[in-house]
Amino acid sequence: MIYNQKPFDVIVCGAGHAGVEASLAAARMGASTLLLTGNIDTIAQMSCNPAIGGQAKGQMVREIDALGGEMAINTDLTGIQFRLLNESKGPAVQSPRAQCDKKAYQFRLKHTLELQPNLQIFQATVTGLIFKDGKVVGCRTNLDIDFMGQTVVITTGTFLRGLMHVGQNKNEGGRLGDFSAKTLSGSLLEAGIELQRLKTGTPPRILGRSINFSELEEQKGDPEPTLFAFHDTRGPEDPFHVEQTGEQRIGWKPGSVQVSCWMTHTTLRSAEIVRDNLHKSAMYSGEISGVGPRYCPSIEDKFVRFADKPRHLLFLEPEGRNTNEYYINGLSTSLPFDIQLELVHSIPGLEQAQLLRPAYAVEYDFAPPTQMFPSLESRKVENLFLAGQINGTSGYEEAAAQGLVAGVNAALKARGGPPLIIKRHEAYIGVLIDDLVTKGTTEPYRMFTSRAEHRLLFNHGSAELRLLQHAKSHMLLNNSRLENIFAKEKRVGYWENRFETSTTVGGSWANAIRRDREAVILPPEFAAEAKEVREEVLYRVAYRGYLDRERRQIEKFKHVEKVRIPDALDYLAIPGLRRESALKLHQLRPQNLGQAGRISGVNPADISILMVLIAAQNAEKS
Amino acid sequence: MSYLGDTIAALATPAGTSAIAVVRASGLHAADLVRAVFGATPPPRLAQHADYRDRSGALVDDVLFTFFAGPNSFTGEDTVEISCHGNPFIAQKILEDLLARGCRPAEAGEFSKRAFLNGRMDLSQAEAVMDLIHARSERALAAANQQLRGALGRQVNQLIELLVNILATIEAYVDFPDEDLPPEDLDKVQRQLDELLAGANRLLATNRYGELLREGIKTVILGEPNAGKSSLLNRLVGRERALVSPEPGTTRDYLEERVVIGSHWLRLVDTAGLNPSAASLEKRGIDKTFEQAAEADLFLWVIDSTRPLPGLPETLAARMTPANTIAVFNKLDLPPAPKGDLPKAFPLVHVSALQGAGLEALQAAVTKLAESFHVEIGDELIAVNARHSLALDQAKAALLEAKQKLAAQEPSDLAASDLRAALDAFGQISGKIDNETILDRLFASFCIGK
Ligand SMILES: Nc1nc2c(ncn2[C@@H]2O[C@H](COP(=O)(O)OP(=O)(O)OP(=O)(O)O)[C@@H](O)[C@H]2O)c(=O)[nH]1
Ligand SMILES: [Mg+2]
Repeated sequence: MIYNQKPFDVIVCGAGHAGVEASLAAARMGASTLLLTGNIDTIAQMSCNPAIGGQAKGQMVREIDALGGEMAINTDLTGIQFRLLNESKGPAVQSPRAQCDKKAYQFRLKHTLELQPNLQIFQATVTGLIFKDGKVVGCRTNLDIDFMGQTVVITTGTFLRGLMHVGQNKNEGGRLGDFSAKTLSGSLLEAGIELQRLKTGTPPRILGRSINFSELEEQKGDPEPTLFAFHDTRGPEDPFHVEQTGEQRIGWKPGSVQVSCWMTHTTLRSAEIVRDNLHKSAMYSGEISGVGPRYCPSIEDKFVRFADKPRHLLFLEPEGRNTNEYYINGLSTSLPFDIQLELVHSIPGLEQAQLLRPAYAVEYDFAPPTQMFPSLESRKVENLFLAGQINGTSGYEEAAAQGLVAGVNAALKARGGPPLIIKRHEAYIGVLIDDLVTKGTTEPYRMFTSRAEHRLLFNHGSAELRLLQHAKSHMLLNNSRLENIFAKEKRVGYWENRFETSTTVGGSWANAIRRDREAVILPPEFAAEAKEVREEVLYRVAYRGYLDRERRQIEKFKHVEKVRIPDALDYLAIPGLRRESALKLHQLRPQNLGQAGRISGVNPADISILMVLIAAQNAEKS
Repeated sequence: MSYLGDTIAALATPAGTSAIAVVRASGLHAADLVRAVFGATPPPRLAQHADYRDRSGALVDDVLFTFFAGPNSFTGEDTVEISCHGNPFIAQKILEDLLARGCRPAEAGEFSKRAFLNGRMDLSQAEAVMDLIHARSERALAAANQQLRGALGRQVNQLIELLVNILATIEAYVDFPDEDLPPEDLDKVQRQLDELLAGANRLLATNRYGELLREGIKTVILGEPNAGKSSLLNRLVGRERALVSPEPGTTRDYLEERVVIGSHWLRLVDTAGLNPSAASLEKRGIDKTFEQAAEADLFLWVIDSTRPLPGLPETLAARMTPANTIAVFNKLDLPPAPKGDLPKAFPLVHVSALQGAGLEALQAAVTKLAESFHVEIGDELIAVNARHSLALDQAKAALLEAKQKLAAQEPSDLAASDLRAALDAFGQISGKIDNETILDRLFASFCIGK
């Protein structure tokens, strides 16, 4: 049966970290939105470790907050341990990270979705898409109910033909205990979307009561947590989408006890066990064809590739306050269960550990992301958007960021407006999407600060200011918060200017701060400013030289970013364009000259030729 | 990538073809540039006589310069044209000085491109401009490749290798603070930076115009054993420089000698004969022949005309073209064997190295190739050289900056920003270095990830 005659504006398939942000963003923009998930009880599940943030990802979560997303506030409300990473480095590469209560994280998000106006949730597995005239118009489900939508956002994570391996044992599914979405792959292929395989893995989970903590080193949270959401610009009346009253609004409160993580390490015995059993590992016996990430090697990889390293560090992360389950971060493997058991028992503190769930590797389909526009809409099928792991990324934060952008753009597409495109120089989210659509990826793509050319501009505290114009032009935040951010921007600008222009003993305030920030006694009015304002001002003043250099660089390339390449341009017929470049451009079809220039193998002369051609075509038209 | 807001500079005439070379600068700051170099902006379109002094005040040349105020110039922007003596050294010096004063080296065909974008050309010329950009970029690429084939390329690549290692290390500590990495050794980074700086300085000292002009056109004599290569070298040099004997395999190592032919300096290299069935010692000599050939600008392929036409090893055949190779049929004084066709349409001459016959024809052929060769890439080579010096200067400045930051105990992520600038600068010489290269190195050197 067909469920609805009047199509939804946006249908989101999958309620992982991408799907949740996509559906919230669309609904908050006023689009009538449907979220389909195979299992309502696993909404926003952390399939891997129970932590949000960390290097580059933490900054990205704050960017999500700046664009009206939910991940940051949800982490603040359900976090059980907070740490600011990289305190010894410059402020731009300091990143907040939090351990979350896994179930609390899910329940709060589920509740948020339930209370979200314009959003309907329904439990059904999407089995295929419905196309009409080369566009997607809805989806089919396992219940034989068809849902019609103007746009469809696919956020199915690792569920597309997911295949899990524990040694030689294979199970279909995207996550232990869940099913696999098989027929949807067929639907995408039918629409001409190319699919490839990737793999990733997770470590075993163990019972806390069976851990001997006395042997282990403790890792505590920071006494003063760094939160993800910008609480300074939220008014007291600002709805949190889930009613929480008064002080209880933040789950973690100063003075309340944070939960600790524990550190241990592999032993020589562990190395021996792994080496003796390599042939039984799914990844080493050739069972798995997908490509795994370089940065998240299995324990097999670690012992093989870094054979001279005597031990590898492991972190035991609690999965929540109301559970005794621990995640062994660092021990991902696809060895058979009996070997896993032996391996775990070779680790100090885990001699008696009980396994609750085995480690496994999962292989799944992804759609190489160069098949999308920067709006995350498919180039092959109009009105179809893709976000998250299906695009070849890894990580909750990367997924959420894409989900948010895809949700906003699906809503805009349904309404008929220009898409939200975040530039590389504005945010990690911009780098993420630009890398995906212009370069693609051959391993699960994870964000690193070093992927950003201008990371010094991406300090986590500036996310709201950097993305303010986008938030405003698409009304992604409510008015009071927008006003507060504008006010904050003003304050920051005021102090920046005042420090540069007014003097104290021995020169301008700014120079004094740059010489020795600790030694300067700042004006009392400054001390009265909000912490967020103070920190941003001091950062901008102290690193002014660097930040200016970055801005000059950006300025230089801005004009090429603005030159749009006509959609129908036939690269193969352009005189003077080198064949190699023409083929690449033809295949990747960049949208502007800036993107074209970032494609490897396309050189400046090719860009010059395109520039002349486009100018000539534009002049001819007018 | 080009940017209309900056001021570009380049050589505007092909070097080596005329007595005068013209260096042109165009863009927003052209008028400031004229004031800075010559003191005042003269009335537009009026050629002025003046001394050109570089930034340090040293006299470079007496020149004629003309200022064109935009939009009434070729590009539509403020433009200055400086005519100096045709000596390539002078043209390069002036170009380097303009770059040091803040101009950007013009990209292939960029003056024409700007003219077009500024509406100084009509639409029908778009295709011609595109062709020009293409042709010039191919030539610039050829010139740059020619340089990189030699010592410069090897040295730059070594420096890049070292810099990538440093960056991968620093980035590992920035991007993976929670990993089990060995303690960050910033002293080691300092030492590596010193090494890099020394390398950049060495290159700056040697990277002046023209290995090609100053050191001569590298001309490799090659051919089968006993073809008369050594005899030919002796004949061209005018004395018994190389050992000659009727035994094939006489020359075991290469030897080099400089000669002037016409107006060109040549570095003549005699090599061990190409004997496919050589034994080990001789083989080593032949390996050296291949090494020499890889850096050659010109080839003299000596063929014994009394014997059937020999084949060419594939690696050589790929590099030898009618534009850089002369087929020298030797032993003209003896009865020739019937000949097959040459594998390519090489220019050919007949000589007797023993008696000296045909030598003028050979010299004429060499002069002709050498000249076309200069016209072909001589001016690009100046541009390439100036560009390389600029890039090396930029790299050096960025490296120094990073070194100071680290010495002052500033966070290493700030120094990383300078190191990236240095890497970009080196990349202007050897081709852009992708971010993936650093990540690859990082993951190969450190066990990262949980
Ligand atoms: N008749 C005649 N003999 C020549 C001529 N050129 C060289 N020869 C003789 O050929 C023999 C080999 O000459 P080389 O110059 O040593 O030849 P090569 O090519 O250097 O030989 P390898 O070093 O062994 O590879 C010597 O006996 C020369 O005298 C020529 O033009 N005419
Ligand atoms: Mg010899």
